[in-house]
Amino acid sequence: MTVAGRASGPAGAERTVAPQVGLLVGGLVLLTAVAVLSMGVGAHPVPPGDVVRALLDYQGTDNHVIVRDVRGPRALLAVAVGAALAVSGALIQTLARNPLAEPGILGVTAGAGFAITIGSALGLAAGQAGELGFAVIGSVIAALLVTAVGRRSPLRLVLTGVALTAVLSGVALGLRLMLPDVFDMYRFWSVGSLAAREQAPLALPVAAIVVSLAGALLLSRALNALALGENVAQTLGAGVGRVRAAALVLITLLCGAATAVAGPILFVGLIVPHLVRKPAAGSVPWLILYAMVLGPVLLLVADIGSRVLLPTGEVPVGIVTAFLGGPMLIWAVRRYGAGSL
Amino acid sequence: MSIRRTSGLVGVLSLSLMLAGCGSSSEEGGSKASEKAETRVFAADNGKITIPADPKRVVATGYAVPALIEADAPLVGISSWKRGEPMMSEEDLAEYKKLTKVAGEQAAETNYEAIAEAEPDLIVIGVPAPVLGDIDVKRLESIAPVVAIGPSLPSAWRDLSRKQADAAGALEKFDAGQKTYEAKAAELKTKYAGVLPQLKLGHVGAYGEVAKGNFHREFGGSWGTNITEDVGATYYGKVKKAGPGSAAVSEYPSIEELPDAFAEADALTYSVNADGSVSEAVQYVLDSKLWKNLPAVKAGKTFPIRYTEAATYGSAMNTLDAIDTSLAPLLKR
Repeated sequence: MTVAGRASGPAGAERTVAPQVGLLVGGLVLLTAVAVLSMGVGAHPVPPGDVVRALLDYQGTDNHVIVRDVRGPRALLAVAVGAALAVSGALIQTLARNPLAEPGILGVTAGAGFAITIGSALGLAAGQAGELGFAVIGSVIAALLVTAVGRRSPLRLVLTGVALTAVLSGVALGLRLMLPDVFDMYRFWSVGSLAAREQAPLALPVAAIVVSLAGALLLSRALNALALGENVAQTLGAGVGRVRAAALVLITLLCGAATAVAGPILFVGLIVPHLVRKPAAGSVPWLILYAMVLGPVLLLVADIGSRVLLPTGEVPVGIVTAFLGGPMLIWAVRRYGAGSL
Repeated sequence: MSIRRTSGLVGVLSLSLMLAGCGSSSEEGGSKASEKAETRVFAADNGKITIPADPKRVVATGYAVPALIEADAPLVGISSWKRGEPMMSEEDLAEYKKLTKVAGEQAAETNYEAIAEAEPDLIVIGVPAPVLGDIDVKRLESIAPVVAIGPSLPSAWRDLSRKQADAAGALEKFDAGQKTYEAKAAELKTKYAGVLPQLKLGHVGAYGEVAKGNFHREFGGSWGTNITEDVGATYYGKVKKAGPGSAAVSEYPSIEELPDAFAEADALTYSVNADGSVSEAVQYVLDSKLWKNLPAVKAGKTFPIRYTEAATYGSAMNTLDAIDTSLAPLLKR
């Protein structure tokens, strides 16, 4: 019996889906709690009561402004970026059938970094809006290039992504070493951070993430068949080419938008799919749903950590996720065995 | 004849021959030798250095560049100093552009061969002490005496530029520039005596890091405040944890701490670029709702200050003019 069959079978559905729904609801409660906590933690102490009042009865006091206008957008961004990276990770691992695949493998991160470097060198990528624009353009072009060359097979896709990443990273590094000012502008973006994004034009990237997440859910049933292998999927009547193309578009949009607004945040796209694979029990729809909840939780927790870990100031969240990601990956391998990967 | 007497005669003979042989060249080179002999010991960051009393060929780097151009020191080579260009007078800027560049903007970009080709008799290095490690001082010392006179506290530019001018033997014009500045500052102090000393001021500097979500708060004695203080302003508060150099008088709190930093301020000043435009770091603060909530901002008492990087009396004259222009509305209230 396939996982999809279990989920859709009338008798089994009730037996199997109930705990999964429970887990999802539990995850959503945890996500809400962590999101509220993230709005209460920061450089300026805000009493818990003020955090709640800022959300429910906004008066425009300094504390309310901090919660609603500084930490609120940051928490929302963490949710959007966490979900985007985790879901794009789940999609690329399913598509490539490679447990070590992560969204950056499509060259999205390298493409964004390359574009920002070029934009900075030309003096056009100044400011957050400029960086954002160049990151979007770079990530989309890189992903399109990789997809165009490697769309016919997962292995070719991965190899093309790795090759393009190496080329773009090398050229960009060369430029940055020659141009110290460009290096200076790039270094803040390159570590990945959610800080100070409250004034950046985030509506479009966040909207792209929300639409793409919905698209991922719609595509998830078709991906269930693809996860069994192309031959099986074709036998089951799935349009392999169409599904793969749609998935690649979604991965590009999700990872491109997330990277553009927050910089390269490693490990979330790699680790979250592994953490939720066991409870998803082989079902791609559940894998995506869980990733959509656990990705934001992980990124919010890392972002809270980034604010409190050092007394001297913030640590970029990209560094915290890298610290968390390594041990978590090892734990997942030991806990679930290499087979789960 | 004893051996002792013989050796004494040989010694006298040898000395006579030496004097006779060198007589003409010694006379010719006499003036050169006496010039070379005119040295003095100068206390610098790198120790007590013997330098020419009246240097004729000086190489300057870092903060010493604008100071020594203004003081009309006999420069034969300088480092690039782009940050100071907007604050230079037309005459000084022309001189700056004309002089041979023997180093880039960074200390690590020092061109030792170019310095040797300039044949200096004195090298004045105006970089902060930690940056001195990027320079091969021993190699420079093989070319000419090296005095390192770098910035420490931002407000110490007055003493440091004087010391640089002193080393280069160019105090005369320096002192004239200092007098002009002090007279102008005193004039403005009198002009604003009725309004400025009563205000508790805060200052937003230009070096916040938007990507980190912080802002640059400058206290009294910092780059953005020290010249306004000469006009009678008082900046309240002090850094939470003092560090070396500018870290003793400025810090980088999170944007969330904007109310904690400036809630008590009666008026706020902030650094802007030389052309009056606002840097990204300052704009980030000005666009924050927390800034707009501050009492001083609500009262309309915010004042942009240009040329806050001034580190010479000549460039600080620009700052005084900028302060006068910006604070003028205070007199109309």
